[in-house]
Amino acid sequence: MSIDTGSAGVKRRDFLKVLGAAGAAGATIGCGTDDVGKLIPYLESPDNTVPGVSNYYATTCRECAAGCGVIAEVRDGRAIKLEGNPEHPLNRGALCSTGQAALQGLYNPDRYRGPMAREGGRLVPTTWEKALATLGQQLTGARGNAGATFINQSESGSFPVFLDQWLSAFGLPAHLSYDADLPASAVQAHREVYGVAWPTFDFTATRLVVSIGADFLDNWGASVPQQLSWGDARAKLADAPRLVYIGARRSLTGLNADEWIAARPGSELLVAQALFGEGDVAQAAQAAGVSAEQLQRLATELRGGTPSLALAGTSGPDATEVALAAARFNQARGAVGTSVKPAQPVLGFEGGASYADVRALVQRMNAGQVPVLMVRGANPAFTTPRSLGFADAMGKVPFKVSFSSFPDETSELCDLVLPDHHALETWGIAQPVPGTISLQQPTMTRPVFNTRPTGDVLMAVSKATAVGAGAYAAYADYAAWIRAQFPGGPSALAAALPTGIARGSVPARSAPASAAAPVAAPAAPARAEGELHLVVYPSPLLGTGSGGNKPWLQELADPVTKISWQSWVEIHPLTARRLAVVNGDHLTVQTATGSVTAPAYLYLGIQPDTVAIALGRGHTAYGRYAKGIGINPLDILAGGEDSRSGALSLVTTARVTKAAGHADLVTTEGSARQHGRNIAQAVAVSALAALQPAELQPGGRFGSSNATENAPYGGVVPGTEQGHGGGHDIPGLPSSKPLPGLRSPIAADAQGELADSSGKDLGMYDQEHWSGMAKRRWAMTVDLARCTGCSACVTACYAENNIPTVGAPWQGRATSPVTWDETPGANIVKGREMTWIRLERYFEGGEDGSADFETRFIPMLCQHCGNAPCEPVCPVYATYHSPDGLNVQVYNRCVGTRYCSNNCPYKVRYFNWFGFGEPNRRQYAFPEPLNWQLNPDVTVRGKGVMEKCTFCVQRIREAENRAKLEGRPLEGDEFTVACAQACPSRAITFGDAADASWSVAQLAVDRRAYHVFEELNTFTAVVYLKKVNHAAPSASPTA
Amino acid sequence: MTRGRKWAAIPGLALIAAVATVLSAYSGAQAGAPAQAATAAQPPVATPTDTAVLRQQRDTLAEPGPWAYSAASSDQGYAPEQPVNFPHPVHVQSLQMNCVYCHFAADKSPDPGMPAVGTCMGCHTVVAAGKPEIQKLAKYYNEKKPVPWVRIHKVPDYVHFPHMRHVDAGVTCQSCHGQVQNMPRVYQYSSLNMGWCVSCHVERKARYDCATCHY
Amino acid sequence: MGTVAARPEPEVGLPNIPSANVQLPAVRDYEQVDREIAATLNPTKAWFGALGLSFLMMLIGAAAWTYQIYWGLGQAGYAPPVMWGVYIITFVFWVGIGHAGTLISAILYLFRAGFRTTIYRCAEAMTVFAVMTAGLFPIIHIGRPWKAFWLIPYPNWRLIWPQFKSPLVWDVFAISTYLTISATFLYVGLVPDIAVLRDREKNPVRRKILSVLSMGWQNTEREWRHFTRAYLFLAAFSTPLVLSVHSVVSFDFSVALVPGWHTTIFPPYFVAGAIFSGIGMVFTIIIPIRKWFNLKHYVTLNHLDAAAKLCLFTSMVVGCAYLIEFWVAWYSGNPYETNFFWNRVFGQWWWAAWIMLTCNMILPLSLFSQKLRRNTTWLFILSLFINLGMWYERFVIVVPSLSHEFEPWQWTAYVPSWVDMAFLIGSFGWFFMWFLLFIKQLPVLAIAEVKEIVPPQLRTAHPEGLTPAGLHKPYMADTPGEFD
Repeated sequence: MSIDTGSAGVKRRDFLKVLGAAGAAGATIGCGTDDVGKLIPYLESPDNTVPGVSNYYATTCRECAAGCGVIAEVRDGRAIKLEGNPEHPLNRGALCSTGQAALQGLYNPDRYRGPMAREGGRLVPTTWEKALATLGQQLTGARGNAGATFINQSESGSFPVFLDQWLSAFGLPAHLSYDADLPASAVQAHREVYGVAWPTFDFTATRLVVSIGADFLDNWGASVPQQLSWGDARAKLADAPRLVYIGARRSLTGLNADEWIAARPGSELLVAQALFGEGDVAQAAQAAGVSAEQLQRLATELRGGTPSLALAGTSGPDATEVALAAARFNQARGAVGTSVKPAQPVLGFEGGASYADVRALVQRMNAGQVPVLMVRGANPAFTTPRSLGFADAMGKVPFKVSFSSFPDETSELCDLVLPDHHALETWGIAQPVPGTISLQQPTMTRPVFNTRPTGDVLMAVSKATAVGAGAYAAYADYAAWIRAQFPGGPSALAAALPTGIARGSVPARSAPASAAAPVAAPAAPARAEGELHLVVYPSPLLGTGSGGNKPWLQELADPVTKISWQSWVEIHPLTARRLAVVNGDHLTVQTATGSVTAPAYLYLGIQPDTVAIALGRGHTAYGRYAKGIGINPLDILAGGEDSRSGALSLVTTARVTKAAGHADLVTTEGSARQHGRNIAQAVAVSALAALQPAELQPGGRFGSSNATENAPYGGVVPGTEQGHGGGHDIPGLPSSKPLPGLRSPIAADAQGELADSSGKDLGMYDQEHWSGMAKRRWAMTVDLARCTGCSACVTACYAENNIPTVGAPWQGRATSPVTWDETPGANIVKGREMTWIRLERYFEGGEDGSADFETRFIPMLCQHCGNAPCEPVCPVYATYHSPDGLNVQVYNRCVGTRYCSNNCPYKVRYFNWFGFGEPNRRQYAFPEPLNWQLNPDVTVRGKGVMEKCTFCVQRIREAENRAKLEGRPLEGDEFTVACAQACPSRAITFGDAADASWSVAQLAVDRRAYHVFEELNTFTAVVYLKKVNHAAPSASPTA
Repeated sequence: MTRGRKWAAIPGLALIAAVATVLSAYSGAQAGAPAQAATAAQPPVATPTDTAVLRQQRDTLAEPGPWAYSAASSDQGYAPEQPVNFPHPVHVQSLQMNCVYCHFAADKSPDPGMPAVGTCMGCHTVVAAGKPEIQKLAKYYNEKKPVPWVRIHKVPDYVHFPHMRHVDAGVTCQSCHGQVQNMPRVYQYSSLNMGWCVSCHVERKARYDCATCHY
Repeated sequence: MGTVAARPEPEVGLPNIPSANVQLPAVRDYEQVDREIAATLNPTKAWFGALGLSFLMMLIGAAAWTYQIYWGLGQAGYAPPVMWGVYIITFVFWVGIGHAGTLISAILYLFRAGFRTTIYRCAEAMTVFAVMTAGLFPIIHIGRPWKAFWLIPYPNWRLIWPQFKSPLVWDVFAISTYLTISATFLYVGLVPDIAVLRDREKNPVRRKILSVLSMGWQNTEREWRHFTRAYLFLAAFSTPLVLSVHSVVSFDFSVALVPGWHTTIFPPYFVAGAIFSGIGMVFTIIIPIRKWFNLKHYVTLNHLDAAAKLCLFTSMVVGCAYLIEFWVAWYSGNPYETNFFWNRVFGQWWWAAWIMLTCNMILPLSLFSQKLRRNTTWLFILSLFINLGMWYERFVIVVPSLSHEFEPWQWTAYVPSWVDMAFLIGSFGWFFMWFLLFIKQLPVLAIAEVKEIVPPQLRTAHPEGLTPAGLHKPYMADTPGEFD
């Protein structure tokens, strides 16, 4: 039937069935995996669960050290969506892509099904009893041995404390809290100057931000709070801070900067001294390869009165020095307390071990001093340079235990795997900021697989071996221990559960001082003749690799290069020309310790003497979505360290040569230039005042102050006054006098202006058929001044709308009747990605390869045109305009002529080329149990039908139903759509533009508002607010 | 008649055939009133032999939509054997139990909800515990297995039917499910075809553009 | 039909034959016509070979379709936003082929252009089969072909109807109407000829079938009167279709707002192109037929010459349309248009555009030379180029437009896949399979109409036409337009 219905995969009402597939018959939930045609009731009805209605559990995100608060939407016992917790002090309701993708970790098809033990060289399933017995016996053996090591992920809250207690009971040293993503140098500098590992940065209090390689919008520290603050700051428009980015590579943060100083790697310290201290500007400029005037201007600006904030996050051997220079500058300029708030530190970054500690550990392992190695939540075998030889060193460890849920590079080498619960399945306490506890509670009725919380395992071991069992005598399991830990005890905890937040603090772990003395890499790596600098950086999406097994993150185009499912080498176009290299040509990057080959990506935003490679790909294990995708630049890093923090130096030099072969870039980028089409518009801050608030023009559209400047029709927009006639009356439709741009004649029809009571039944446009929906015009505004291009909205859309990922190696098409195209991202190369909302990244200027170019991000989604080109061309009425102003796509009516897509100027309609949503298909996108995440309120589309953004119509209906049941009308801003909900810079606003109580109604008439392709008379419901550019004081304004 | 006339007759006949087809397709516009159709029916409360069930169905099915010719198929009249033969008449008529006592979510969720086996056992641990059907039920309960009821009323997965909105709007259970309180064995009473939905929405002036149910 | 350069004066006493003269000097009498044309119906090895080949090609297409329906359209070369590709191109291509048939058989009939007589049957059959082929592609190209019937308005339980604003729905009507009318037209024209076959048929079964098909034609005055009326009526009836159908097809594009599609010149441009491509295909078909079926003295060089002039004319119309498109793009000052057309002709798609321009605009100019017009080898080669060029014309219209639309971020490329190619091959197989079956079942020349143009003085065998033995005298060979 899936073929006939245009809906396939997991059925809306199949959920109990799917749940049943989880394994043994559950205590509370019945299960039957047999047949769709069965109605499976509960065995005992669980409390506060209504079938078909979601519950919401507040818990804590453990994807990175920050510990943001998330709210998990749970339907019939399974988490189906993660959203930020509005109450949470860190993320205030927003959530980054990585956090949202935690669900695909929970439901990852490659998770360990249960405990594994090494027999005859391979890991084979075993029972928990056997596994625990082995562990206990090994630990008693290693008891009191100072060499035994436990590596734990870097996290705040109670578990580290619990772990150290437990270790000390066995006489083992405190654990290493290792996080490869941790910017250790910055942390070191912060500790030395501010006294905390990570202060809160508040950008609203400053007017000039100088970032030396500090990617505070990517993943440098706590990115979500930083993005929120940055968004608020930029929303101050005229009073917003200007951002100057100094570094060899323009990261996402760099692309958001108003000015880029392309300093060579290694010259940052000199530049920092020149800017912040008494360094010599000329010398710095010479070393950095930038113009002295530019530096001088900035230096003077910094010495001037403007409140400024300096951030430094370089990754070279002198990283801490640079960071210190910046921090001291902030101190000297009194930014501490206003822009830098050590009083509100992000505690997740405390107590992290540095790379030097890991190196020291490897030395001990090689020396055979480590009898037992336990790893939880970290993957050092992958996240350390191959030259360090962590994997080999593990071979010298007699007994290795992994608590990893996933078959990653480290656990593959272990003798015993005791898979931990996913964070969404466990109890826990996090301490994101002082004075606030963030609770972690299970969101699943039952764990997905036969896993156990590491806390329980450790407890069980100590009880079994009677080592330190006394401490746990009172507790049945780790959860009980947590409840006891909670200030105020179980009752307080119960009270805190609804919000997931509680005042107070839990005892924090006192991290042991790093024992290892860093081995400094050669300061500023000298570049031999014919060599280029090599910069390696953690991917904003995949980090140093932990995200690799989540298809959403693999599929999501890198915010900067727009490449997915692939590794690439960023190289400057001029350098590329010298090497006779074009996009996609293979480049070999050769360092002292090895070489990697990857396709070239010609990137304006990289310093010409430099190439850059992102971390995060090149896994040799870690499941079907990660294994064998791309390359890992850590394979060629020598492993030098920052002399002060012991952080791994990610900068070196390399010989870059053109290799044989060419690979199509798996990119969503067509042309990165707007060709004067004014899709992403910007206004200079100087010109801001001149913008008039939108007025109703004849024709009911914005007074296009921009139209005269830069409309493609030489300033004359057809259908406006300057054009012919004014107005845009569509023959036969009387009305064209609506709110600016938002109500087309057809939407006006929905306003009842066409309802002719004397006439016969007007079908769906008959007011009588509206169930009170008459006065709505769902609309959206996107503030480009806030948008940073982080792409969290895209992931949110994937999660909410059951969008299939199409880039996996087995999802391609047949290249012949017998062979398949198995290159990762083959579909995306052909432009078949299904991103209902996509982030377009346009460059302005820099055609000559100069560093002076501007980037404009614009989220492009279905514009829900009031006068939609797609509607009249569909032969079967599969797309039409609903009375409340939605451009509706009816999947089960669609026959797939794709005419609508041809006629869509915004190209936001997507086609199901294969059975992405159909189980037992080669291209199926949701292999069990990934399909547990599917949203039951959204049809899973089958092959051969069109799909597109629906403005989350399921949320609209849900809200309407709720309001109806409560016998009240919808209230302003009562709900919002998935992309708007997730947006960490709060750029997206959704609501009813026809009702002033929704904030979108005001934003839609903002002075910066405009429509994309306004001249096509589509009357879009998506209104963009122009980006605001802050030119350097002396430089001429560029808009 | 001459040969010429004979051939001239062919298009005429074809035309008549076409018109006849279209007209015969139209089975009267008074659809969308399944409720009345239901009240007319008085099925016997009897032990459900298949013949009885089939007779009932023949007698008491709802009117189809106005157009009988349709690409849409329907399981109208489907009356499968259930794992436990649950007699609605006894519970509803004799014991005066309300529908939402067991289908507890019908007025607050899109999903009406099926009673948990525990709910059944709430009474049946004592009531009629000896009866063979109840023993079947108890068996499921003791084996911690839910009863695999056979689904009868099902709309496709791309149709969203929020029960609470209809209950809230005063649509009786019987208007779609028929006189379940009289059914020894439950059968699909309505066609559940789109035309059947739409005609009711039109009749009741409910919103009926596609995105009301399809999204 | 202007006369042409000097040629040897015809001998006195014989009919003067200018190039426009379509008489058939080599045809002596009706009996000869019947005999020679009926003779073409005897199957030959070559025919079986050709039929087998085209059947095989058809199977390739059928297999590809099964494969594609199972896996999904992703197996084709589509690269969004290029959402239409080879299938729509081939659809328009075959519809276009279809047009020459009706033009030749209907319009030229109304204009009394005699040279149509010997080629129209062939062209008309080509029309029917071409439209049959074209009609498949809209179904092939949609995502859920098993739902294609939703495009047809029919009373249904869902109470929903097609979107009558959509050109694709207009297509349904246009194509089905066109197929019906042209098939009827073909059949009606065949009736007297079938009667001829019936009378010559020995095999009782075939004879029965033929007599049914011939509707008991008795060759009476009255029947002829009705026949010619009906024929005239159908000709008049299908004439507007020639213009309307391809105009409707062109609306598929011109109604959309895609740069390169959204232009008012499309209807005339498409009609001219269609006729042009159709005549090209007529040459491709008729030239081998007249050679292998020994019909050179029926389809004379004069006929081909005249048809070639028509070909030249339509080619120039099409060329004119191309140039106007470019001019408008420049003159409009619309950046989308100008940018797009530059990209079409000198950018990404230059090669396709230049194949189109060369084959459709430049090569046909050679037909200004009478020598080449009367050189069947050249005509045949040229016709192949025309077919290629017209396929590429549709490629140039469909693909570059979609690949280079308003949204630069979504600009892309397009490469057909092996599945696309299988369908293309299959479509030719399907077309030629039907055509080959046709030409061995029914006369590929209109017997009755050929008889009409046999010069009166030659209509019946007469003494001076006969040898003493009562056989036909050998025909004098020196008449221009006689042999190649």
